[in-house]
Amino acid sequence: MDEYPAGSLEHAIPFLLTLGTRTGTPYDPQLSPALKEQAVLIRSELPSLDSDPASALLRYLQDRDASQLPCNGRDMSRKYRFKIQTAERSLLLPPRRARLPDGFEAPSPSPSTVLHSPYSPLSPVSPLYPDGLIDTQWIRKHRDFVPSVLLCFYALSSDPTLATLCDNQIKTDVNNIRALLSQSGYKTRLAVVLLSDHTSHSVDSVQERLETIRKGCGLDPKVLFLVPPSDSQDELERVAENMLTTLYSIALEYYRDLGRHARKKRSRGIAPQPTVPPTSGTSQTLSLAGWNVRYDFKSAIFAEYRLEMDVALRSYEQAYENLLSSELMELIPSWSPRWNEARFLADVIAVRCLRCLLWNGQYSAAVRRWQSHRERIADFVDRRGRGTNNYGWEAWEARWADVMADLIEKADIPELGPSAPRLCLPPEKSVMGERLRPWELLHHTGYWYLLAAQHLRSRRALAHSIPEDDRRSPSASPASHVAKSAFSYDTYMCPNPFEEYPLNHTGVDHGRMIVDRLLRARADFLKRGQVRLAAEVSLECARELAVAKDWKNIVELLRPHWKDLPFRKEGWVEIVEELNCILRAAAAAIGNAELVIAIDWELLSRSFTERPDWHYNILRSLEGINTKSRPTVSIGDGQILSFISASFLFNHEEGKAGQSVRGQLCIRSDAHRRSTPVALSRIRVHFRGSVDAIILRHQGTEHAQRQISGNAALFAVSLTTQAGDDGISESTESDDAANKVTLSGFADLTLRPGQTLVLHMEIPLREPGETRAESVVMYLENEAFNLEQSLMFRERSSLNLWYISASSTKHVPRAHPLTIRVLPRPPKMEISCPKWEEQYYTDEPISLGFDIENGEDIEAVARLDMLLFGEKPPTFAVDIPGREIQNSSSVRSEESKLSGAPLGAIESSKSLTITLRLPPIELSSRYDLTLKVTYFLSTNPGTPISQTANFQLNVVNPFEANYELLPRVHPDPWPSLFDHESISVPSTASDGALSVPKGISQAWCLVTRYASFASEPLRVVDIDVSIHTSPTSSIQCTTVQKHTDLPVSGRLINPKTIEEAAFDLVAQKSSVDDRSHASLDMSLIVKWTRQNPEAGDSSDASPDDANSAKVNTTTLPVPRFTIFGTEPRVLASVSRRQLLSPAQPLVTLTVTIENGSNHFLTFGLVMEPSEQFAFSGPKQTTLNLLPVSRRSVEYRLLPLKLPAGGGKENEKKEAGREEEEEEEEEEEGGVWIRPGLVVRDKYFQKILRVIPGGEGVRADKDGFEIWVPLPGLGSASSGSSG
Amino acid sequence: MATAIPSIACLGVIGRNNNPLHTSIFPSYDPSTNTFRPVRTPLQFSLILSSTLDVFELRARQNAAAGVGLTGDFGLLHAIDDRLAAYGFETNTGTRFVVVVDMRGRRIDSAVAAGLVEGGGKDKRLLASTAAAGLREGEMRPVFKAMHAAYIRLTQNPFYEPDEHSPPAGHGGKKITSRKFAEDMRRIGENWTPGVTNL
Repeated sequence: MDEYPAGSLEHAIPFLLTLGTRTGTPYDPQLSPALKEQAVLIRSELPSLDSDPASALLRYLQDRDASQLPCNGRDMSRKYRFKIQTAERSLLLPPRRARLPDGFEAPSPSPSTVLHSPYSPLSPVSPLYPDGLIDTQWIRKHRDFVPSVLLCFYALSSDPTLATLCDNQIKTDVNNIRALLSQSGYKTRLAVVLLSDHTSHSVDSVQERLETIRKGCGLDPKVLFLVPPSDSQDELERVAENMLTTLYSIALEYYRDLGRHARKKRSRGIAPQPTVPPTSGTSQTLSLAGWNVRYDFKSAIFAEYRLEMDVALRSYEQAYENLLSSELMELIPSWSPRWNEARFLADVIAVRCLRCLLWNGQYSAAVRRWQSHRERIADFVDRRGRGTNNYGWEAWEARWADVMADLIEKADIPELGPSAPRLCLPPEKSVMGERLRPWELLHHTGYWYLLAAQHLRSRRALAHSIPEDDRRSPSASPASHVAKSAFSYDTYMCPNPFEEYPLNHTGVDHGRMIVDRLLRARADFLKRGQVRLAAEVSLECARELAVAKDWKNIVELLRPHWKDLPFRKEGWVEIVEELNCILRAAAAAIGNAELVIAIDWELLSRSFTERPDWHYNILRSLEGINTKSRPTVSIGDGQILSFISASFLFNHEEGKAGQSVRGQLCIRSDAHRRSTPVALSRIRVHFRGSVDAIILRHQGTEHAQRQISGNAALFAVSLTTQAGDDGISESTESDDAANKVTLSGFADLTLRPGQTLVLHMEIPLREPGETRAESVVMYLENEAFNLEQSLMFRERSSLNLWYISASSTKHVPRAHPLTIRVLPRPPKMEISCPKWEEQYYTDEPISLGFDIENGEDIEAVARLDMLLFGEKPPTFAVDIPGREIQNSSSVRSEESKLSGAPLGAIESSKSLTITLRLPPIELSSRYDLTLKVTYFLSTNPGTPISQTANFQLNVVNPFEANYELLPRVHPDPWPSLFDHESISVPSTASDGALSVPKGISQAWCLVTRYASFASEPLRVVDIDVSIHTSPTSSIQCTTVQKHTDLPVSGRLINPKTIEEAAFDLVAQKSSVDDRSHASLDMSLIVKWTRQNPEAGDSSDASPDDANSAKVNTTTLPVPRFTIFGTEPRVLASVSRRQLLSPAQPLVTLTVTIENGSNHFLTFGLVMEPSEQFAFSGPKQTTLNLLPVSRRSVEYRLLPLKLPAGGGKENEKKEAGREEEEEEEEEEEGGVWIRPGLVVRDKYFQKILRVIPGGEGVRADKDGFEIWVPLPGLGSASSGSSG
Repeated sequence: MATAIPSIACLGVIGRNNNPLHTSIFPSYDPSTNTFRPVRTPLQFSLILSSTLDVFELRARQNAAAGVGLTGDFGLLHAIDDRLAAYGFETNTGTRFVVVVDMRGRRIDSAVAAGLVEGGGKDKRLLASTAAAGLREGEMRPVFKAMHAAYIRLTQNPFYEPDEHSPPAGHGGKKITSRKFAEDMRRIGENWTPGVTNL
């Protein structure tokens, strides 16, 4: 757009000129000298104002200048648009009428000699004379020279003495200016601003003065403004806004008048005659069609001033069509300067049309208009001009794209802004649905600059194809040739061929122009996040710069792309290659050795096409490049497309600390076949975990353990531990790596193209945990440079090949081949308990021997932790040979613990026996016993190794028993309530312990049946019952006698056999008055020993001989019994006598009724006769029982129908009732007979149960029975109690 | 100017990792030499294809924000200049198809011949009118449909492993080497003219 003459394309904005204020930048319209001479000078006689309010107002006005505003109609809030300029005291207006040319003799001074405007083709002074159309000067006339409004500033003096004078001066000046204006012929509107400097006057007087001035000057009241003195900016703004808005309507009126005038002239329909008929050239004058174009153009421009863009567009289009019609441009010969002028005018109109379309938001229409103008002009140039196949046309094409970019930028379309998400605008509604070309969606300026650059390149190509003859300057070439070439090149707005591409000196710098456009485009693309496109543009830019040999800029431009762009990562290899090639050339030229090496390194990869002229030797890459110091290049992973790929593989998923694992490092070269093998100097593999790094150094000599097959070379590398980092490379954070291990080894690290280097390593594992191979860094060091290439290992389960040999591989199907899980070193210390038993017994001290055997190769210093876990574990003691006995401590209630007991050094394959001693445990329970031996080997004192053994200790009760408490008749008489001597006196029994119990007594028999639940036979030595008498108890109870069948040495009881023991008990209440129940708490005490103490060797008693002799006492609690109930009880006991004959046993049945209550009770006894026996005694009687008394009734029973002899004889005569029970009743050595005795409580009418009160009586649900032994069979029953 | 109508200059398939999977380049008519040759070099086409990724990314962001764009048809991505324009389509697995259209790729007469061979029933006037104006909104849909169908046929081949071509984690990937797919692309690129609805 800059190539077009100034003012030709700018947007038309009403022109406002201020007069009468001092300004730093006075207005200078730069009239051409010819016009200046005749210009009309308009001058204010009054001194220009320099007061603060005046300059403040002026500044405000200048701020509101709209000439830099975006060209769009979106800003509706703006009520006016002015191009505001300031003249201090005077201005020059171009003459309205041109003078006659000098020396022109008017044929006759008739009125036919009409003078015209100097801008008109009618005036001979105009460059357009006689047949030009219109030029920039005319546009400039209204834009820059002739204001629509002339705003005069005057000060309104408040001094009453000067007021009149001042007012008169103003009047004179205004009138003077007005006269000059009208004299000039321009219809510029005059407006006056009066700056009042004082407020003391009344409003009326000021108003009056204003009125006087207005009348005196003949001014419209609308155009006289008074600015009251005010300090506030707001007030000033308000006044100024008001004024500008008013003036704007006046300015619009001015332009409307001008437009009307132009239309009026067009409607006349005749071509005006020039002042002087042309005498030179073709002597033809401008045709009517030409005049119409001129008038249409004018009215369009005036419409644009009025911002009536639709009107302007219509007029422009009309002018354009007429211009390109067959009547106008078709007739202009292409050699004529008017041809280019017409083209220029067409361009101007088209640009202004585009602006109108963009103003109205018709973006697609604008692009179409842009295209159609290009096509029409191309067509036109092809037909009438010098064709489109030359540099001039391409120059125009480039310019045309530039213009569009410029217009779009000026239009400031928010939808296309950098922050907007769109790259191109959707078509407007009017063209939607039509078949649109993609380009017709308005794209942002970047694309337009790109297009311009593209045309500029074509322009250069065409320029470079200019034959040499044409490139010579015309002075040096023959005239005939000059004449010929003048017609073959389109030089519209571009230099001649000998300037475009001169033979012997530089001409147009196409490269710079292209780069300029490309950089602009690149900035636009970058703003919108189009990084790839920006990179593409940069690449093109770099190519241009390469032509200009501007290497430094290339590196600056491309280096960021080379480093960061996604092409490499995404696999656009050819783009990367192009980038590399350009950048390498540039880097080599400026001596950037690092970049050259990095690029050469990358270009070794076979992904890139092979260049036949390239040596592919990394060592030679710095040839011809001067470097001050030896460059060091460090290339990170993924930074370039490396030709080297590396993978790592552990053979196993798991390893154990202290062992070693095999790992394979594969380094594969994918270099060009032709390239020189690369000898890496070092390889460093980084690990995370216990191993820090493995460093492999190059060793050129033939390796012994090397297999080569095909493209694979397999090495077995032996690694040695290295204390620290070797200092060749800078040591990494050594604090962190203090306990890490660096291993090193040697191998032939020469990497041939296409070869895979397999390095087989045995990696010792030290620490448990996870070890992962992270990355590998390859170092290439030589006298020219250092290169570091680091590569990360990636886990790809599909490509895990393990080289068994150089020629054969296997797939390792593991998800994480880079990781090895290192398990802790397996302990080789054995803990065993050789005499472990399933169960142990309560109430017996337990002694357990554990063997700790050292299975390690060397001596181990061990410590022992022991933990007994369970409910209320006992404290235990551990006996370690040669050391003190260690006792456990109970940390918590459910565990008992011994920690850190030193065991001392245990020799290899020796064992140590420790003994755990537990005190007798009372309750049967279950414990978890954990032994943990922690030991250190002298070879690796830092690593503790531990072995743990768990045992479950079952402690069970060896015996269980059940109990029965049978009542017996106490032989002693009861104390009588009526016997004063037997009543204890409470006062005398002050001491409870000494007091003799005086209460009633009862006899009981406790029968217990016990069984052994041990797993082996146990010897029961003694059995006893212990009675717990609490001091508060009201009874006294003693064991009278025990009936056991135990010999003195005890008896061996087999498991699960039931034994019986009985104890006779006597209980006595301490007081007769006491009637309450009493409870009886007892426990059974079993004293037992292990079975066979003499069978010593295998028994657990072996370490301690006392154990065998020791009698363990197991106490079994007896459930509580309640005695001394208040209910009366009836006890039946029997005694026998041989009365008549041995064959006739006589049984005495004694029925004792005890009344322990405080009541007088009466019982009725009825003895029913029975067939089984005969009896003597009361058949029916009544017993009265005093409180706390007992009475007995005796019956003598003679059993009848006893079996005659032998064991089995039924007593048939009495079996009538109970025949079904006969078999049951019949027992060995006697029979049971059932006396039908009923005891009834007379008062309660309740039958009392008869309870067996001694041997030979038994009770069942129907009553009780008496045992009658059969004579001749010996005594079957034991002695009777009574 | 109406003597030239649009044709396909290049078909590109881009993988999920933004990696090029396939590129087919088609010659355009060159009026100055009256021959057919590609308008750009393969490198330039590569650059054009890769630069569409910018637009894909931009649109994806936009679509995600607006919650649209479920069809996968991205329509016009951008016009590279007044001659070439790139259209895009994205499958639901993230594979992108790019069609670079040369707006002046065919002479009208050759297109007429092609149109007669293709459709048979279309008359010359229809083609002339389509040629005069540009392209309609959905004009590229048949191309994408055909490309998608070809791509689906490719993935149905048990020996074609999509993960090799666009590794799910990571970058890059192999190019498509299927001869049949390339042949499909060639057929699509050569047979398309504006107004063709079935390829």
